[in-house]
Order: sequence, then C-alpha cells, then structure tokens
Amino acid sequence: MTAWQRKRGRAAPWFLLPACALLAVFVVWPLLRAGWWSFTNADLLSPERAEFAGADNYAGLAGDARFQRAFGNTLLFALLVVPVQTVLAFFLALWVNRPEPAWRWLRGVFFVPVVVSMPVLAVLWTLLYQPEQGGETGLLNAALGVFGVPPQAWLRDPALALPAIAFMSVWQGAGLQMMVFLAGLQNVPKELLEAARIDGASGWQRVRHVIVPSMRNTIIFVVTVTTILAFRIFVQPYLMTRGGPGNSTLSLIQSVYETTFVSQDLGRACAAALVFLALVGGLTWLQRRLAREERE
Amino acid sequence: MVVFLLVVFLAGCGRAPVEERVIRVWSHQGQEAENRAMRDIAEAFNTAYAGRGIRVELSFFPDFQYTEKLAIAAAARDLPDAFDLDGPLVARLVDAGLLAPLDGWFDRAELEDFLPTLLKQGTIGGRLYALGAFDSAVVLYYDRELLARAGVTPPADGEGWAWDEFMAACAALQAAGIEPLAMHMDESADEWFTYAFSPVVWSGGGRLIDDDAPRVRGVLADEANVRSLRAWQQVFEKKYAATDPVDPNPFGNGKVALDWSGHWMARPHQEAKGGRLGAMPLPRLGAEAAAPCGSWCWGVSARTRDPELAALWVRWVTDPEQGVAPIVRANGAVPGRRSAFAAFPEYSKQPYRQFRAQLETTARARPRTPFYATLSQRFAAALRDIARGADVEARLRQAEDEVQAVIDRRRPGEAGP
Repeated sequence: MTAWQRKRGRAAPWFLLPACALLAVFVVWPLLRAGWWSFTNADLLSPERAEFAGADNYAGLAGDARFQRAFGNTLLFALLVVPVQTVLAFFLALWVNRPEPAWRWLRGVFFVPVVVSMPVLAVLWTLLYQPEQGGETGLLNAALGVFGVPPQAWLRDPALALPAIAFMSVWQGAGLQMMVFLAGLQNVPKELLEAARIDGASGWQRVRHVIVPSMRNTIIFVVTVTTILAFRIFVQPYLMTRGGPGNSTLSLIQSVYETTFVSQDLGRACAAALVFLALVGGLTWLQRRLAREERE
Repeated sequence: MVVFLLVVFLAGCGRAPVEERVIRVWSHQGQEAENRAMRDIAEAFNTAYAGRGIRVELSFFPDFQYTEKLAIAAAARDLPDAFDLDGPLVARLVDAGLLAPLDGWFDRAELEDFLPTLLKQGTIGGRLYALGAFDSAVVLYYDRELLARAGVTPPADGEGWAWDEFMAACAALQAAGIEPLAMHMDESADEWFTYAFSPVVWSGGGRLIDDDAPRVRGVLADEANVRSLRAWQQVFEKKYAATDPVDPNPFGNGKVALDWSGHWMARPHQEAKGGRLGAMPLPRLGAEAAAPCGSWCWGVSARTRDPELAALWVRWVTDPEQGVAPIVRANGAVPGRRSAFAAFPEYSKQPYRQFRAQLETTARARPRTPFYATLSQRFAAALRDIARGADVEARLRQAEDEVQAVIDRRRPGEAGP
C-alpha cells in the first residue's frame, strides 16, 4: 500500500460521515424510536407518558380483526397485481420494441398513466366503475351492457371492489415496468436472436429460450419492485372506496395511518408498521434468495 | 447547557427597554376571505396591545391534516400558546393533558352571552377548555316552487316534518318527476356523515356512545339506532337521494327540491333561489327534533409559559365586536355570541332564524369523548355502506366492535364486564 493509498484510507471515514449522519438521523433513529414505542402503550399526543407494555401490541395485532383484514387484503392485492402486471408489461414491451416512430408514440401512450397523478386517475376510474345512478351509467357498465353483461356495482360489492382496484392498478403501473423491460430488451444479444431465427426457432421459442433467459436480471428486478409497490397500496383504495365497503379494500398502510392519526394509538401503530416492514423486507429477501439460486 | 442558554436569554430580555411578549397562535386555513379576516383580527389585537408590548404571531396550516399537524406538534412538545381546533377534538386534547382550562379568564355574564352549544362543546368534566367565535347548523332547505309543483305543503314556519311526513313529501316529489333530495354523499370528509346524520340517531332516541364509561358496545348498534338508520336507508333504497351524486350542489342547480345541508349554503342558495328558498329543521324520527352543532374553537395550550397572555388572545378572538363580527362576516357561520346577532340583521329572517333557533334549543354537541375521531370515522364508514344497502344491524355491529376494541385497548382498566 502506498503512502497515498494509506492517506486516502484514513480520509474515507470523513467522506462517509455526512451520509451516515443523515441515515442515522432520518432512518436509524426513527426506526429505533418506533421499535421502542412498539413495546409501549405510547399515545400520539403524549408519548412522554408511555409505559412499557411488553409484547402486548404485537400480541394484540394477532387478535385484531381489522388489522388482519388489512393484511389479507394487501396480500391478495399483491397476488393479483404482481403476476398480471409483470407478464402484461413484458408482452407490452415485446410488442412495442420496434424502431418506427409510430411505436415510439405507442410507448408514450402506455406510459401516460404512470405520469398522471394517482388522485386524478382514482376519480376517473371511480366514474368508469359507476353503477347506474339517476339514469347515468358508468362507462365500464355501459360497455359491458353491449355484450349483454348485467351492470355490476364494482366498487360497492365487497367481492368485486378489491379486484376492481387491482385491475385499475395494473393498468396504471404496467407502463413503468414496460419501460424497464424495454431497456432490458436492448441487452438481449442480437447474435443469439439471429442464430435462433436461422435455426428456425418460432417467435414463441425465441421468447422462451433466448429473451427470457437473457433478461433474468431485469425480470427479477421488476418482480421485486412490483411486489414492494403492491404492498404499499394505499392511495387508490383510500380515494376510491375509503377502505370499504365493510373493510373489503382496507390496506395495511391505511390501517397503520388510521391507527396513528385517527385512533392516535402510537404504540400499536408502530408495532403494525414494523410488522409491515418485516413482511416487505422478508419477501424482498426471499425473492432475491430464490433468484440467486436459480442463477447458479 | 439549557440553563446557560436560558440565563443568556433572560439577561438579553432584561436589557431590552420594552420587553416584547409574543403569543404564538395557530389557525386552520379556511377560505381566503376567512384567512384575511383572521389576519385583520390579529392585526387589530397587535395595535390594541402595542403599548403593553404584546403581539400575536399567527400561522395558518391547511384545513385537511390540521389535526395531524397538531398531533405531531403535541408529540414534539412544540404546540403554540393558543390554537384553534375542531370542536369534537376538545375531549381528546384534554385527555392528553394538552389544554389549559379557560374558566378563570371569563366571568359568568360573559359566558352566558355565548351560545349554549359552544359552552357544551368546550366543557369536559365540568371545566371549560375551549370557546368558539361561531357555530354551525344543518337544516332541510326547500324550494317552494318545486314543492308546490308536487302538491307538497311545507310545515309552518319554524316547524319540521316528522319522518313519515318527510318520506311522504319525497314520494310525492318523485311521483311528480322531481328528484326529491340531496344528501351530499359524495362529501370526501368522514366528518360530514357523523355531523349531518347523528340527528337521525338522536331524534330516534339513540346515541352513538356512552361517553362516561366510555363504551359503545350495546349502544351504537342498539335497537333504536337500527330502527332509525333503517328508516334513513329507505331514503336511498327508494332513490329519493343519490348514494353517489356527481353534482355537488344539485339543489342550487335547480334539479332537486330538498337539500339536507349546512349553514354555509345559505348565501349561495339565497342567491340562486331568492324568495323560493325555505328552510326547516331536519325531519325527526321520534317526538323530539335534533340538530347538529359545533365548529372550530379556541384553546390554550397547557404548556404555554404564560396562560394569561394566551387567554387574552382567546378573549379577543371570541369578543363580539373584535372577533365574532369580522370572522362571521367573512365565513358566513352562525355568530357564537348572542350579543353579536345585532350586527347581523338577516337573523330575523329565514333561513338564518332557523339556525339560531335550533342552536338555542334542539342542537346537540357531538359526543365529547377522547375516542371521538375513531368513533366518527367508523360510524361514517358504516353510514356510507348502509346508504348503499348494507344490512343495518350487522354493519353497526361491526363499527361497534371496531370502536370498542380501540377503547378497550386504551382503557383496559375501565372495560367493565
């Protein structure tokens, strides 16, 4: 090691310090605080009165019907959204991966919902899903009516509300994943594709045996990010149904938010938030684990 | 370190010729006219007290999430000296030890000048913690011409309909091809539902919570409430009112004959309808009528260094001339002090006379319990579902279970059998 290198090594901590300090203040410290509060009966308005309560908050979550409903809804939402959105985005990317300007324009069209603010989309889709009301019918029900499908109360039927929101979310988010897949498609070796074509591989075989294997990393990335985003579902149901009817679209984030700011039950809310963090963190870790093993 | 800074600070103050004393005040952000009026009121205060070196420093925070802002400030021990808050939250802040009592700063004669609803709203456990400059009212507005076209006679002035008469009027309007009623079910704030429709429960002989216990089990989903809300559900089942209205003001736009709405619509409705506009109390389910009330009110932080100073501001902002008249002129709410009505001649006529009349007789404060926010939110969710056809008893039972679970968790010792 030269003197210069040694010197540089000594200077390194100083350069790391600002980043570490910010992380400590804005990530580590709040997490520790939340961790401590989750073992107390802290009240949002007077946290200084908090008393140690052991694992009461965690035990309470296990018996909290509302929290469990939110947990189940969020899990179901992720199960509906992640596979559909990933597959849809992948095929959209394959479809629009052409150089002509018309296709570039189409890419833009698919990307529009990602750019438009979610509250605006939520209002639009609420209107689209509207059942008959004073002689006016929502566009979706009107369109289905043409095919003889009876109108459905999409957002008001406890069985339909969550799938309806999942459908809207897939439509909204697929454009972003499509862009990532498009970038990944550029990395598929041209020679391989050409070789496959010369060998007489059909389009499907090329996708299956050339494109998918060479895009493994992109696919893993997209699935991971989509999963995390799906678990963070909040805005759509909050604006479209307020978690109703009868808690059928209540999300984990909404339940944590309401425990914090409506019931102002800080201890319980911290416990719920940490459970949520563990869930998302655990799933991400699991996905990366599984993906890495496949790669070997 | 803190002591050192304090010493330096005090020494600094001591040297100043006139010690300036600042009252930090927070207010929710209303309409622009209302904010301007608030600023003028503060300006007048500063002018009046300039000689004594007292000054208020007024900050506004957006209306939606104002409560969150207060909660975070309370947790961070950064509450201002005085602040306004929504009436039903007083009990919660008192429970958390954040409000100082106001009794000592007002004498009996002054207090008697306030509307009884404001005193009720601000009194927790026998002590007064908050006072407002104005109050609110919900009435049933009607369009005389549309009623006449359907052959419906409105009740005598100041009287309301019994529920059956109300439903019969809606049926007659519907038969005449007129949309009967607007209930504003598109309102995004949960509070609208609890605020506007609690009178349905109250006039049917029920209540939302036993605030003393506090307990909702066996209260919220009791027989009387189920009966009352089944009657309320009929309004939507028979399509007298829309469950998902697209038009926020169908009454003003001339489409609907009756409007279940607040005092804030009095001016626009009068402009739209002139002499066609009438107003009556909300229809009653039992023998007794009921009306909602409550609005933003002022409190003094329990942690203020100088409660006397903060109370000086609360006195100013609720003073009939300095506070009530200018703010009411700006926001159109109902004056909170009887002596202030003299400045508002419209209160001798409808619909204003109805506002004052019900605030002095049938109006009831929303439950004064630390669990109000949870109760209101869960009850509002239940009302939304009930309007759309949910089973009334099962849905109320669900709300009851959810609210009781929160109460039991916070008050394990008082859960009772």
